[in-house]
Amino acid sequence: MRTTFTEELDTLQASLSEEVELVLRALRGSINSLRESDPDLADEVIAFDDEVDALYLSIEQGIESLLARQTPVAVDLRFVLAVLHSNLHLERMADLCVTIAKLTKLAHGLPPDEMLVEGFDEMASRAEEMIRVALDSFVNRDVAGAESLVDLDELIDRTNRRVVEHVLELGGDPERREWGLRMIVISRCLERVGDHAVDIGEQTAYLVTGEFREFTDASHPERVDT
Amino acid sequence: MVSAAPIHIEALAAERPEPGTREVVFDIGDLTVSYDGNPAIKGATFEVYRNFVTAIIGPSGCGKSTFIRCLNRMNDLIQGAGVEGRILYHGQDLYGRDVDPVEVRRRIGMVFQKPNPFPKSIHDNVAFGPRVLGMTSDLDARVEVALKQAALWEEVKDRLKKSALSLSGGQQQRLCIARCLAVEPDVILMDEPASALDPIATTRIEDLMHELKKDYTIVIVTHNMQQAARVADMTAFFNIEKGEEGERAGILVEYDITSKIFTQPSDKRTEDYVTGRFG
Amino acid sequence: MKGRSRDVRGAIFRLALLVSLAVAFVTLGALLVDVAGKGFEFLDPFFFTHPPSTDPHQAGARPAILATLYIGVLLLLFTVPVGVGTAIYLEEYADKNRWYNRLLEVNIQNLAAVPSIVYGILGLAFIVRGLGLGRVVLAGALILTLLVLPTVIIAAREAIRAVPDSIRQAAFALGATRWQVIARQVLPAAIPGIATGSILALSRGIGETAPLIMIGALTYVAFDPSLLGPFTVLPVQIYNWTSQPQEDFVKLAATGIIVLLGMLLTLNAFAIWLRNRYERRW
Repeated sequence: MRTTFTEELDTLQASLSEEVELVLRALRGSINSLRESDPDLADEVIAFDDEVDALYLSIEQGIESLLARQTPVAVDLRFVLAVLHSNLHLERMADLCVTIAKLTKLAHGLPPDEMLVEGFDEMASRAEEMIRVALDSFVNRDVAGAESLVDLDELIDRTNRRVVEHVLELGGDPERREWGLRMIVISRCLERVGDHAVDIGEQTAYLVTGEFREFTDASHPERVDT
Repeated sequence: MVSAAPIHIEALAAERPEPGTREVVFDIGDLTVSYDGNPAIKGATFEVYRNFVTAIIGPSGCGKSTFIRCLNRMNDLIQGAGVEGRILYHGQDLYGRDVDPVEVRRRIGMVFQKPNPFPKSIHDNVAFGPRVLGMTSDLDARVEVALKQAALWEEVKDRLKKSALSLSGGQQQRLCIARCLAVEPDVILMDEPASALDPIATTRIEDLMHELKKDYTIVIVTHNMQQAARVADMTAFFNIEKGEEGERAGILVEYDITSKIFTQPSDKRTEDYVTGRFG
Repeated sequence: MKGRSRDVRGAIFRLALLVSLAVAFVTLGALLVDVAGKGFEFLDPFFFTHPPSTDPHQAGARPAILATLYIGVLLLLFTVPVGVGTAIYLEEYADKNRWYNRLLEVNIQNLAAVPSIVYGILGLAFIVRGLGLGRVVLAGALILTLLVLPTVIIAAREAIRAVPDSIRQAAFALGATRWQVIARQVLPAAIPGIATGSILALSRGIGETAPLIMIGALTYVAFDPSLLGPFTVLPVQIYNWTSQPQEDFVKLAATGIIVLLGMLLTLNAFAIWLRNRYERRW
């Protein structure tokens, strides 16, 4: 029954998965450009964002049309709204990768700190893992999986705080300091990617339970929902 | 990194097919229909495309049913009905001097609002059309094919000789569709086909339309906007307007792809109607 | 109180209804019992196989019964095609705005109400004398045809009108011509109504006496009738017998009445059975 409608919903989810793949590639590309200090690779990452934007727009328009034509209700409506929000979060993630690439270009030629750069590699891997977990939880409607993102995000947050401490210890050399500042922003970008992944997890919980709740509340850090 | 190949996502809301490749089935120009001199529709101009579902929506009395009955010359049966303007069917004048209405109705079939099976067996209902048109070879095969196309075969294959009136409302309507398909038409006109049916039967009819449009061109009149939104590729909005002498007639206000009508209509009257802010 | 007085009035009304019903039935019942009592004696196969005679014990009603049957068959043959045809024309083809069609409509209603003796006079003038047929079975049948035709037309029209327009629309939409719609959908669906109406008209025709007397259904016919020969019918035969003085002829008349009533009741019962069995509830 309503096979066309069901197919449209499936296509919407498939589009979201495609977008995740694009975001992962952007993330991997941006971190590689940082590690190799490769401005050309960074330019490719920046240009690549157009594809993500195109897909983002296509999904937006698809949702608009679907809402107008099929009047989804109940779980279908929650699904469409969850895709709407997740779409935005993924687009933001891609923008953050562009920022990382731009900062990489700005930091090109400045003396790097190898340990920090390796740290970023690890942070990025964690972020990638979070993105995959977020998508899988969404696709499988797995609330527990979505909630596990909170713990993964905690790791990135800790790493982010250590980066700041590390940069403060870098010393007085002005080029070093400039490099360090750029790195702080990059670290912040990666931490934001993790937050967006958690937001996608919250959409999964909303989709399944019908209730929207924040997994963690930034203004009340001690109150963590389980 | 390697740039990705362009993503081929089946466009969710795109026009299908591209405007340039659409084949015109009905070319309607300045159509005016009057009953005993009183105009019911004035000056309607648009095209109906092949293998599309085209929906006609609008308030009561805007001439939707009158319009659709022009397409298969059923208005000929109403005394005092006058049709002016141009209706070309595959380029030929539908109201031409030497055009046989019987042939028109074979090619352009119709399903009505209230299911109206004949008081005969299921088999004889579907076989009636081929019989009167002289298409009597392989009658049983024709009946089977038509019932399969109407998604009714499985439910009735063991009781073809039973009376058609023993079927449920939704089944009767699918029987009427099968009856229409048995004469191998080109176009199927549907005048509010699901308004007398419950929601599940309605969904079945809508799913059927999605299937049928692969082989046929469908024009549907509906007062249910959401139905038009669900099934139609193109939607035409008719409205009632007062003429110079105060007479009320239906006019075509807007005709566009369905998603545009329901997301961003060009005319304010259309927007008022679809948002329910009429009157 | 108020309620009780309304009850009383209701009870009185019901009582009055029952009394009128009783009067009607009792009277009818008395007549039937009387007839049955008188006619029983001569009711045997002899009655059907022998012509009348001056000796009541040798008398039968064979020619009358045969003529009644002939006229019945002819009545059906004439009225059904003409009546149904007219009904089809009026319902399916006629433009109701034309004056001649409206004239036709009005007249059919009027004709159904004309007393049967008038048809007798008409028949005498135009059919017996005007056409020169003479006082024969065929003439009788034609006159009775005119008499019952309006009834058949009206019944057929009702039956045709009862077929919902949606059926016609569906048939037209499939590409049927007007004639195909009528022949294959409307008529088949209307047949029960048409049949019932025709049979009721037939039974009325068989029972008619006045017009046939008018055209000279001779009261003493001892030979078997033929289409173009003199004749008498059962009601007339009965009339003849009742005007004879002998007691036995009265009994014979009663026998005739039993036979006639038997025929009419059978026909009517058949018509009712037909209607109940095949009537379509739209």
